Amino acid sequence: MATAEQQVEMTTSQKDILSRQSRISETVNAGLKSRYRSEARFRAYGAGAIVLALVMLVLLFVTIIGKGYTAFVQTELQLTIATSGEALGIGNDRDAAALNRADYQAQIKASLRDMFPDVTGRKERRDLYGMVSDGAAYALRDALAENPALIGQKVTLQVPVASDIDMLHKGQIDRTVAEAERKVNDFQIGIYDRWVSMGTIGLHFNTALFTQGDSRQPELAGIWGAAVGSFYTLIVTLALSFPIGVAAAVYLEEFAPKNRWTDLIEVNINNLAAVPSIVFGLLGLAVFLQFFGMPRSAPVAGGLVLTLMNLPIIIIASRAALKSVPPSIREAALGLGASKLQTILHHVLPLAMPGMLTGTIIGMAHALGETAPLLMIGMVAFVVDIPMTPMDSATVLPVQIYLWADSPERAFVERTSAAIMVLLAFLVTMNAAAVLLRKKFERRW
Amino acid sequence: MLKKTLALAVLATVATAGAAEARDTIRIVGSSTVYPFSTVVAENFGKSTSFKTPVIESTGSGGGIKLFCAGVGTEHPDIVNASRRMKKSEFETCDKNGVKDIVEVRVGYDGIVIANAKAAPAFDVTREQLFMALAKEVPQGDKWVANPYKKWSDINPSLPNEEIEVLGPPPTSGTRDAFTELVMDAACEKLPAAKALKDAGDDKTLKQKCQSVREDGAYIEAGENDNLIVQKLGANQTAVGIFGYSFLEENADKIKGAKVDGKEPTFDNISSGAYPVSRPLQFYVKKAHIGTIPGIQEYLNEFTADKAWGPEGYLADKGLIPMPDAERAKYKEAATKLKTLTAGDL
Amino acid sequence: MPDGPYLGNAQFMQSLALILVVLVLAVVGFRFGRGQSIKVVEGNARRLHSLPGYHGLYVALWCGGPALILLAVWLSLEPTILKHLVLGALPTEMLQKPDGSPLGVARLELLLNDIRNTAAGNVASTANAYIQDAAARYQSLQQTSYAAMAVVVLSLAVAGAAWAFRFIHADFRARNRVEMIIRGFMIACSMVAILTTVGIILSLLFESMRFFAVVPVTDFLFGLDWSPQMALRADQVGSSGAFGAVPLFLGTLLISGIAMAVAVPVGLLSAIYMAEYAPRKVRAVVKPLLEILAGIPTVVYGFFAALTVAPAFRGLGESIGLDVSSESALAAGIVMGIMIVPFVSSLSDDVITAVPNSMREGSYGLGATKSETIKRVIIPAALPGIVGGVLLAVSRAIGETMIVVMAAGLSANLSVNPLEAVTTVTVQIVTLLVGDQEFDSPKTLAAFALGLVLFMVTLALNVVALHVVRKYREQYE
Repeated sequence: MATAEQQVEMTTSQKDILSRQSRISETVNAGLKSRYRSEARFRAYGAGAIVLALVMLVLLFVTIIGKGYTAFVQTELQLTIATSGEALGIGNDRDAAALNRADYQAQIKASLRDMFPDVTGRKERRDLYGMVSDGAAYALRDALAENPALIGQKVTLQVPVASDIDMLHKGQIDRTVAEAERKVNDFQIGIYDRWVSMGTIGLHFNTALFTQGDSRQPELAGIWGAAVGSFYTLIVTLALSFPIGVAAAVYLEEFAPKNRWTDLIEVNINNLAAVPSIVFGLLGLAVFLQFFGMPRSAPVAGGLVLTLMNLPIIIIASRAALKSVPPSIREAALGLGASKLQTILHHVLPLAMPGMLTGTIIGMAHALGETAPLLMIGMVAFVVDIPMTPMDSATVLPVQIYLWADSPERAFVERTSAAIMVLLAFLVTMNAAAVLLRKKFERRW
Repeated sequence: MLKKTLALAVLATVATAGAAEARDTIRIVGSSTVYPFSTVVAENFGKSTSFKTPVIESTGSGGGIKLFCAGVGTEHPDIVNASRRMKKSEFETCDKNGVKDIVEVRVGYDGIVIANAKAAPAFDVTREQLFMALAKEVPQGDKWVANPYKKWSDINPSLPNEEIEVLGPPPTSGTRDAFTELVMDAACEKLPAAKALKDAGDDKTLKQKCQSVREDGAYIEAGENDNLIVQKLGANQTAVGIFGYSFLEENADKIKGAKVDGKEPTFDNISSGAYPVSRPLQFYVKKAHIGTIPGIQEYLNEFTADKAWGPEGYLADKGLIPMPDAERAKYKEAATKLKTLTAGDL
Repeated sequence: MPDGPYLGNAQFMQSLALILVVLVLAVVGFRFGRGQSIKVVEGNARRLHSLPGYHGLYVALWCGGPALILLAVWLSLEPTILKHLVLGALPTEMLQKPDGSPLGVARLELLLNDIRNTAAGNVASTANAYIQDAAARYQSLQQTSYAAMAVVVLSLAVAGAAWAFRFIHADFRARNRVEMIIRGFMIACSMVAILTTVGIILSLLFESMRFFAVVPVTDFLFGLDWSPQMALRADQVGSSGAFGAVPLFLGTLLISGIAMAVAVPVGLLSAIYMAEYAPRKVRAVVKPLLEILAGIPTVVYGFFAALTVAPAFRGLGESIGLDVSSESALAAGIVMGIMIVPFVSSLSDDVITAVPNSMREGSYGLGATKSETIKRVIIPAALPGIVGGVLLAVSRAIGETMIVVMAAGLSANLSVNPLEAVTTVTVQIVTLLVGDQEFDSPKTLAAFALGLVLFMVTLALNVVALHVVRKYREQYE
């Protein structure tokens, strides 16, 4: 249009056009500066948005690592215990039953009294006893159970201190605050300083964190129980969702006739993928627990709920993987006389498998981090024992994080962060595996 | 191979899906106030015996007793913790559902504290002021009107000039019941308007007026998680919380207790009974389950051992206020001889 | 009370072993079947209708299938039968109350639990001689049952294999049969998704109906008061039991709105930058980094919001004289926004890159700058797709649970002030259902009604969004 017009005008009055052109370029030039500015501005907005998102990511990681790295070590006290049958309350009995009923706590208290004979007041003694964790008694019990002959001798053990003293040692309790405002009183700080000068207190790797189940005492609490629970839950999820997901994807992508029914299934699957996870929890509660009477808090039920939640993700990923296999492969196989199923099982599926596995791993990572639906089916109970089978009561890692995050003890803050780091490490590993898998087997057709 | 994996997976589900193991773990429900004590006992019990560690859920005393009384059988809890005594009506529900033999074990005392953040102004309230702050309707003259108080200072100028925002337990909680009884009822009965109702013999209205808690947002039912209340108090300077003394002791660096009727909530004041809002803590055991769920008797023994609930025991370290020797002896006997509760006891 | 199969640890292992044996048999059957098919055609596999492998598979399926089904049925029936046998053998006085009336079902269940525990070697406190006997009997019955099961299952496996084996001849259409079975299995699998939806709708509807029988729908949907903690006993005074969900809806909208106010601009702008401006290298680094944000579990965001962001906002508010609640909608909303950023950006990225290059080039050719092209050409062209993506993000924000459970409030304030604490639908569902659940009180059932609303709203959003996105894709394909 414009050119035609110009041509017409050119024939009528060239001069007029020249002036017009210069006027146009003038206006264009005049506007150019502001247009370039707006261009630069827009570009900066974009870059700013990305930087903002990345800053948040960094902030998140810095906070969590900054809060949590100290949880990987635990303050321990070197305690020399003069064991005796009297102090343990078992006299001369040394059999298993006696060892079971022995009062190890009293023995620990006795050895603390020996350590500080000058501490006599009732309140002071209580404060002193409170500085050593209940874990000391368990450590002593384990040592004596292993070798009952030690009773009557001096035993030197590394025992965990109470979480407040742990916090003090890690510098997270401010000594300058007024005594009433802090959890450790002046007397306890005095004792602690004496321990420091004696050289009996120090940091050691926090084995409890990786070997124990939950506990009300932060210094004894661990994530192993939750990790095992997560493992069982994921095993159930994987065993169900992968085969079902792949079979459903193959059917929908390769076999299903295009009709209303399959359309409905397709829309339905896409929708399910976007249904809030808590709704799956409600489903699990109403159907698996109420209707089928499955045990509360059990990884089996958790696994089933996560399976239902995960299936759409796996089906969608698997279908995409199947779609990316070019039709020429199918046509070649069919042309050579393979049946439809043979074509798919022998040719298409192996080519699509990396894509399917990637999708599955991502889905499993998703399931590993899921919390809300599991709250609905009671996986929030206080479970100390490590679950032995998928039918035992258990929690999972993210629920453990949730439970600890709600605990008032300051020492749980760092342990929560440590648990988050462990969970993130698992997730990063899984996602990295998915990326590697994709990189390694990705084909461009 | 794929097909076989599939078959195996499907089968494994079918086989395991409905599986219910023989229950060999004690299940405990109930009060969030007793929860920290009972988890410590459970941990010690699990670590020092060959039995499994009991699984404990914090459901509130009322909610717990309801679950407990639902019946006898493996799917019902064995023990319920309660921060108030079982009500007669609950005992009757239990009885109706076949839960006939119940053993009551009192474990110690606990004060209900009114606490707020360390940095917030100190509170020194009377029970009557608490009633005025929390009741749904308060008397003005001889008429009952919807609670008009927005700020504490509206009730009495000596109180802080801050909005009334109280985080407290819901009706499922025993702390709520005890609070209603010890604060709301006690304060209400002294009011002339309530006396008038009482004289008129209108007990139903009296109860309604005395026990209803306001619902205009000043009283927030914070669920069964006392830890959560503590967390929220630490972050919110104007809020006041209602919970058990042990949580105050555990968090003495973050929150402080208010004086009630001029008495500080301290260990000594509560155990001497000087602090007006204290109540006994107890748990109830289903006798029918003893001997069929392993470890219940041993759990009772652990709980009632002096190393646990004694004056020097580990529960005292957690904030439980021990009972006097005679009372301990009485409940120790109840626990070992499994003395059952009768309706007359309540 | 359901009487599920009782699987002790040992029995679990035994059953697993049996399954493995059956599978081994199936493999053996496969080999035999394949061998036989070659044998019947004297090594000339081309005479066979189906490849030898299919004959093998056919045998294997007949070998494993019925045997495994039988095993499952056996395991699910065994406990009931064992229960009757064991309890039946107990002396009558064990099955009676002291007054001579028979024990109830629950008591029998307890008795059985005791017997099972004793049988499994768990120390029960008071095992009398009868219980010991019964436990021994239980154990021996269990062993007998296992032995019988093993014999029956294995013979069925062999019989199945033999049955299929007879069919093997040159013209036998083994492949078609095997394919039919596999196909049936695949159809069943794709039904699971439908069943899930049906399950969700039915369970939510069923419990919600019970709720609406007590609380009128209109009160629930339009009521302004939310106070679900009703009295527990007749002699207790609780809340009035108001179930007006408007404050929850409003709170949910407020928090989701804040989240979207963060996520949409940041997500969209970063997607534009990545698609149009970023050099390849930057893209290769930044994209996976943003994906990390998407992969972080929500409970971690919740922890971050509750422990870092909320106190920070509170401090900030205090320093400029604003009263910011420690559970402000702002903190929860912003953290939720961060969580959704990668979601918005990856969806928008897809949409923007799908805009045909010819449109860009046309615009450049007319002298437009890059940003002008983006604003005037690409965004309008990609708008339906972007809107669809945003709608999906909204549905995610509404359904998000852990962040709000950990960082938002519990009190149902009817407020749109982002500095105040509000509560959301998901928070209330969690509060109502964690802890005690009584399926006869409106309190518990209310959670299902909230779930139903949540499901319906997100479903509507998803359907619209997916429809829009699909339409948009078709436009440029």
